[in-house]
Amino acid sequence: MATAQATPARPVRAGARRGPLAALRDRPAAAKLLLLALVAAVVVPVVHGRWGGGIWPDALTADLSAPLGDVTDWIVSNRDSHPLFLYFFGHISNAVVLSVRGVYLVLLALGWAGVTVFAAAVAWRVAGIRLALTAAASFLVCGLLGMWVPTMQTLALMVVAVLASVVLGLLLGLAAGLSDRVFRLLRPVLDTMQVLPAFAYLLPVVLVFGIGVPGAVLATVVYAAPPMARLTALGLRGADAGVMEAVASLGATGRQRLLSARLPLARKELLLGLNQTIMMALSMAVIASVIGAGGLGDRVYQALSSVDVGAALAAGIPIVLLAVVLDRTTEAAGRRIGAEPTGPALLRGWRGWSLAAAVTAAVAVAGRATDGRVWPEDVTVAIAGPVNTAKDWMVDHLYTGVPVVGGTADLASHFTSGVLNPLRSGLTGLPWWSVLLIVAALAWTIGTWRTAATAVLAMAAIGVLGVWEPSMDTLSQVLAAVAVTLVIGFGVAVGAARSERLERLLRPVLDVFQTMPQFVYLIPVVALFGVGRAPAAAAAVIYALPAVIRITTQGLRGVDPAAMECARSLGATPGQQLRQVQIPLARPALLLAVNQAVVLVLAVVIIGGLVGSGALGYEVVLGLAQGDLATGLVAGAAIVCLGLMLDRVTQPTTRRQRQES
Amino acid sequence: MNGTETLKATGNAGSTENPVFSVRNLWKVFGPKADRIPGGEHAALPPAELREATGCTAAVRDVSFDVRKGEVFVVMGLSGSGKSTLVRCLTRLIEPTSGTLAIDGEDVLAMDRSRLRELRRHRAAMVFQHFGLLPHRTVLDNVAYGLEIQGLSRAERRAKAAELVTKVGLAGLEDRRPSQLSGGQQQRVGLARALAVDPSVLLFDEPFSALDPLIRREMQDEVVRLHREEGRTMVFITHDLSEALRLGTRIALMRDGGIVQLGTPEEIVGSPADDYVREFVRDVPREQVLTVATAMRPALAGESERGPAVRPDATVSEAIEAVSRSGDPAARVMDGGRLVGVVDHACLLDVVAGTTGPGHATASATGAQDAPAAPDAPDGSREVTL
Repeated sequence: MATAQATPARPVRAGARRGPLAALRDRPAAAKLLLLALVAAVVVPVVHGRWGGGIWPDALTADLSAPLGDVTDWIVSNRDSHPLFLYFFGHISNAVVLSVRGVYLVLLALGWAGVTVFAAAVAWRVAGIRLALTAAASFLVCGLLGMWVPTMQTLALMVVAVLASVVLGLLLGLAAGLSDRVFRLLRPVLDTMQVLPAFAYLLPVVLVFGIGVPGAVLATVVYAAPPMARLTALGLRGADAGVMEAVASLGATGRQRLLSARLPLARKELLLGLNQTIMMALSMAVIASVIGAGGLGDRVYQALSSVDVGAALAAGIPIVLLAVVLDRTTEAAGRRIGAEPTGPALLRGWRGWSLAAAVTAAVAVAGRATDGRVWPEDVTVAIAGPVNTAKDWMVDHLYTGVPVVGGTADLASHFTSGVLNPLRSGLTGLPWWSVLLIVAALAWTIGTWRTAATAVLAMAAIGVLGVWEPSMDTLSQVLAAVAVTLVIGFGVAVGAARSERLERLLRPVLDVFQTMPQFVYLIPVVALFGVGRAPAAAAAVIYALPAVIRITTQGLRGVDPAAMECARSLGATPGQQLRQVQIPLARPALLLAVNQAVVLVLAVVIIGGLVGSGALGYEVVLGLAQGDLATGLVAGAAIVCLGLMLDRVTQPTTRRQRQES
Repeated sequence: MNGTETLKATGNAGSTENPVFSVRNLWKVFGPKADRIPGGEHAALPPAELREATGCTAAVRDVSFDVRKGEVFVVMGLSGSGKSTLVRCLTRLIEPTSGTLAIDGEDVLAMDRSRLRELRRHRAAMVFQHFGLLPHRTVLDNVAYGLEIQGLSRAERRAKAAELVTKVGLAGLEDRRPSQLSGGQQQRVGLARALAVDPSVLLFDEPFSALDPLIRREMQDEVVRLHREEGRTMVFITHDLSEALRLGTRIALMRDGGIVQLGTPEEIVGSPADDYVREFVRDVPREQVLTVATAMRPALAGESERGPAVRPDATVSEAIEAVSRSGDPAARVMDGGRLVGVVDHACLLDVVAGTTGPGHATASATGAQDAPAAPDAPDGSREVTL
């Protein structure tokens, strides 16, 4: 009922004379800023006099390294004896290890031929013959690159993590979908979890489970379950009220209503949730190599730490192929819902599935008979060597001294010295209270006082944790990368919105880019720019661009055609149409694009710690590498705060609108 | 309106039986502390003032009526008049705030959950404006859905569903999905689904409002046909006056949650209870609704011999046609070989011009009760003429 009550339109006052207060009431943003300025005028002199300007004052920090160190020491020393670990975490850990091991053994038992045929058969059943061929080719390429075993390791971890995520997500989603109270409770948590960088999840898991497969799987589950829960809840709640009423009118019990109507009606959302969960699980399973996940991610991680681009690429390609195959297959399954079954009647439904199973079994048995369980070692193509030769050539010829454009290394160093450094020194040079003020002003003008309070508190928490400086460093990289992303992204999107052909060209590129895990983007930038902060920013830009371009293009294209037609009929030039109609009407989409850019860029900038971007990401890596979990945990908490702050500052009222719809 | 109610109750043959639905003083109030409104100090306030004073909206206010066995009971009103809420109250899809409600003499409001489910499963089935079909099921499985809920075996329910799919004219489309059907076909599925459970009463909630005019016409014919074949009791909600006049045995006209007038189509058109109803029916071609029984006057000497014969339940427009074809000044109204009156040019023109006063029409309506009731015939004749 509450949703039905629309906010009453503000009465338009005809009177020309209005007091300044009335004018402020009509412009809430100005009123908020004025109020904030008043508060600042009173508080700032006091605060400044007491603690001074510059970076966050030491007097206001709480040194958590000692207590955190105690906690980690306690956990490490009690991990094998304390009942909590023995009877709870221990069992979880064992179960995870056993199931990953089990799946891995099954994959090995199927043999390379069996796995390939199985993947192709599943893809054929859900998505058609073309995707089946893609899947088969992808797995063969994985084998050819000599990556069969790591691919199977990653796949085994993925299978377990995805199953656990889906079960957990479904349960949470069911609860939130059927109970308003759970939904209100869960929704902000899930929304926030979705904007946090993957790195933030690693340390708490390591703290409890130590480095290894169980920690990696659980971090993946925590990271990948929220989209499933979120979409399940939204799908269940979004069930067509008319259908639900009709079902109730026929006398269905609560259970019948859920099983025969509400769940089937939410099938699209459920499959979308599955798709997102799989993609996020893959992304995290690769990143979790930092905490001992093994598999493909580990190969990339090892190769990157010795700047061996060739080896990194050999492991990176299977990741991309896995991502594409998994994404396309689940996506196709979602698209096929409600469509007429196609193909010969003999192959429909269970007949097709049993045929697929039979073929897989036959091939697996044949594979075993010919001893083809592991990919034959002499049928591999070693691409690492040639790639590294090419990379050396690039280092020699492209890094510096390219006429006109300059070299890539030159570009990177210019970007570092010309943009990143001034930005960083500017941010650290700003009085700490002014940073809080700016955050408050930004968050309050586009959101509510709640979002502003959250953002300011998150920022202050960073200061209290004593990681103000590295956080400002990370923030400077984020801001620079976001600026570049938005300039390029909006430019391309305006073009794509206007030219059908450009959009058609871009679409498959964006599709592929959007499916790749964050980690993979580090490989090409290291090849092009070396290591440092600029490559991390470049990877962030590449990672965030597709989403920005896509959201903006859709926003511009989604503008009410009647409004556009009206503008054209009045003789507006394309530029006028863009400025006066498209951009104002697409404002929600543009704001969403900014929000997404910030969230995605932050995620990759943090991972950039692996390729020498320093700052918070590096502290996490360092903490992990040296077993100094206290440092890592503090940095992880700062990442959470930074993510929270950045999201709230760029989060327009869309969230509220979404809740109402 | 109570006058009309009792008037008809004494005149209709069906009234001796127990009514299918018996509704007394039913209220449905939305808003805070809704249960305090009925019978409270604010009960009589107009909607706007009620909302101002209490924040509540009375969607159904103090409604009483009976639905008789075998009739098509039409509830008509503009959007927001509370008619859709009212029909949902009948099976407690919306819980009424106060009042009494009985189906076949059994108190609906006292039913526990399982009893209520039983009611919805077997006794009252509903057809919805937006169909409410399950998009992931085929036509056949949609029709069988109500039976599935009752726990029938797959073979049984499919056989029954197939029979109904044919009955509503969708044979050959059993394996389609709802999204592959036109609006009219989808509503036929909705109708078949409701019929499949063989309910004692069918509830229609503006079932044809979302359809094109031609399809709507076709579907109305379908309902008329079904009613004639099976004689099933129907409660039909609509905002379309011509639909109400076409289908209704009796019509309850609603405004702001209350019933303004309840009567046969002829009574609604011929003697509107107040200015609102009069305004409502102003554009109705009266000669196509009113019967000659309403328009006739007693026969004068010598008039019993000449002129074409018409039945009392023939419409005025049929009489006009008969008179103008024959060239005689008047037509004789014959009821089973007995002369009950005549309609001359003046009588017929009065109806067309709308100059028959309410008093006159009421008197005639009382007279019309002498004619034996033939519940189905008026529908049939109107089908041809309207």
